[in-house]
Amino acid sequence: MSTCIELKQLQFKWPGAQLPLLSIPELTIARGERVLLRGASGSGKSTLLGLIAGIHTTGAGQVKVLGQDLAGLNQHRRDQLRANEIGYIFQQFNLLPYLSARANVTLACQFAPARRKRLSQQSIEQEAKQLLTRLGLTPEQQQQPSHQLSVGQQQRVAAARALLGSPALIIADEPTSALDQAHRDNFIQLLFEACDAQNTTLLFVTHDATLAPLFPRAIELSEINQGAVADV
Amino acid sequence: MFKLALASLWNRRGSVWLTVIAIAVSTLLLLGVERIRVQTQENFSNTISGTDLIVGARTGSTELLLSSVFHIGNLSNTLSWQSYEHLQSLPGVSWHIPMAMGDSVHGYPVIATTDALFENFKYGNKRPLSFAAGGAFAEQNEVTVAVLGAEVARERQLSVGSDLIVAHGTGEISFSQHDAHPFQVVGVLERTGTPIDRGVFIPLTAQGLVHGEYLPDSGAEEHSHDHEHEHENENVVTTEPPVYTLSAVLLGLENPALALRLQRTINTYRGEALSAIMPGLALQNFWRTLSLFERALVAISILVVITGLLGMLTTLLASLRERRREMAVLRSIGAGPITILGLLVVEAFVVTLVGVTLGTAGLYTVLLFGAELLQQQMGIQVSASVLTLREIYLLLAILVAATLLSLFPAWRAYRNALADGLTVKL
Ligand SMILES: Nc1ncnc2c1ncn2[C@@H]1O[C@H](COP(=O)(O)OP(=O)(O)OP(=O)(O)O)[C@@H](O)[C@H]1O
Ligand SMILES: [Mg+2]
Repeated sequence: MSTCIELKQLQFKWPGAQLPLLSIPELTIARGERVLLRGASGSGKSTLLGLIAGIHTTGAGQVKVLGQDLAGLNQHRRDQLRANEIGYIFQQFNLLPYLSARANVTLACQFAPARRKRLSQQSIEQEAKQLLTRLGLTPEQQQQPSHQLSVGQQQRVAAARALLGSPALIIADEPTSALDQAHRDNFIQLLFEACDAQNTTLLFVTHDATLAPLFPRAIELSEINQGAVADV
Repeated sequence: MFKLALASLWNRRGSVWLTVIAIAVSTLLLLGVERIRVQTQENFSNTISGTDLIVGARTGSTELLLSSVFHIGNLSNTLSWQSYEHLQSLPGVSWHIPMAMGDSVHGYPVIATTDALFENFKYGNKRPLSFAAGGAFAEQNEVTVAVLGAEVARERQLSVGSDLIVAHGTGEISFSQHDAHPFQVVGVLERTGTPIDRGVFIPLTAQGLVHGEYLPDSGAEEHSHDHEHEHENENVVTTEPPVYTLSAVLLGLENPALALRLQRTINTYRGEALSAIMPGLALQNFWRTLSLFERALVAISILVVITGLLGMLTTLLASLRERRREMAVLRSIGAGPITILGLLVVEAFVVTLVGVTLGTAGLYTVLLFGAELLQQQMGIQVSASVLTLREIYLLLAILVAATLLSLFPAWRAYRNALADGLTVKL
């Protein structure tokens, strides 16, 4: 199995900070894996995700995604890689409030030609509809402006957007922290099923240790990170 | 991206509308001022042509111009009938139009003149006057006849055969109405777009009748008109003149090149202090004095446009804060910072384009429905003609300025997008 994410001698320091926030000697995540990354608040989880998503950069060879060294790509190429191969789910406020749920989902293909190509058998609109239906949104709900949906529904729409067009990697940054337990477990289950269907790698970030048993692999950030950990 | 910008704008349509309206109003103002400025200047220089000299009693050239061509103001000095006769006898004079003013009908100036006006007066590109209905004075036996400018006839709903009463003075409300002398309308002039349209023309002889000058011993002398100061000269004339004094005389020369020489001759006339002006030159000078005002108007409307654009800048900048989340979402799905920058520029462009379009549409609405009112209330003539090249440039300048201005918030958004990445703290 090929690797999806490969970190080597990662060093990251925010501008103005004294010590590096992240200092990770080694981390490898294979394709199709489902990984939980746990860490305390302020420990640098979101920062690490930003690095993997190509928003922030570090030195050469430190972050490789799908075999590509992000430091070797320019801004535009990194944006493209993210558009085509990474689905990103935030903790909250994932959607553009002025678009309908379905339009928010199809937006995933706006900047991603590769995703559009993978959908070519079916129209983007059709695929988005199926995906949303599978995640439990009725056709009426799909046409509603997204700000009218409940938080749980919004998170499912965000998941659909991340999944549309089968990207190689889904990054979820505490997507369940605004949900109650029942919805949370349900949401994670849906995410698992969808990832299985597309053989998608899932990197799931949380500060909630109780989720660890649900994942085949759980990583403690404090165990792999030798950088300066902000006091919680 | 365009659709995205539109959807985002639609989401914030409340505040966006205000911006659009501000830009529309400022565009309307800028175009309106520009149009009034250009068309006024055009109308202005079209008021008279073919007349080589305007002669009046010694006075300022602007005063003489205003009263003889625009029928505005009251000349306090007049020239005598003898001077008029002298002017006619000058070498090279091919035609002459005497004018006596000072009375009004319903606020329209009454100009006492001769049929020479209808034959020789020209305006615009040397266009003569023509009758829409009826004809000149001479075709009638009556003395108390009148020819109306197009505007007067239309506004007062007068036509050939109607009666009208001439009052003394130039105000809308006159204090001494000469009820005894109703005038019969014998002709209505074709529209000219000049002050002629708002004039009431009567024969000189009728003017004498109204003022009691024509019949010196009729006892009508109680009127304390300044015209009557000239009565001492009566015995000099052999045939009784229709009036003793005139406000101005328009002269046409056989050779217009000699106007300058004749002007000097008239200005040094010994019999009476006269002044002769060349209408073209006087119009130009007068327009130059007005241009300061005109430039101030243009400057103000440009400032209003700038205010409108600054308003847009403010709303854009204010919206950035609440839209950081939106930007982060777009970033997460692969939008580059350049896309974020482009989004804001497109947004500003769309807002301005809609504003400018609405403003232009507004201008035409005002011109189509309000031109009448403008003309009546303020005497400003503007027509709903197609956009001139200069106006199109102005509109483009607004669009370009808005786009350039939007680069500032767009740059801010770009910087935010790079700095925030995906971790926006709300
Ligand atoms: N854009 C930024 N510029 C400078 N410093 C930053 C920036 N974003 C985060 N930091 C710093 O990096 C550290 C880690 O932040 P990060 O958001 O990665 O934490 P986190 O593990 O995701 O926490 P949480 O669980 O609360 O989301 C914090 O100390 C924060 O001050
Ligand atoms: Mg975080």
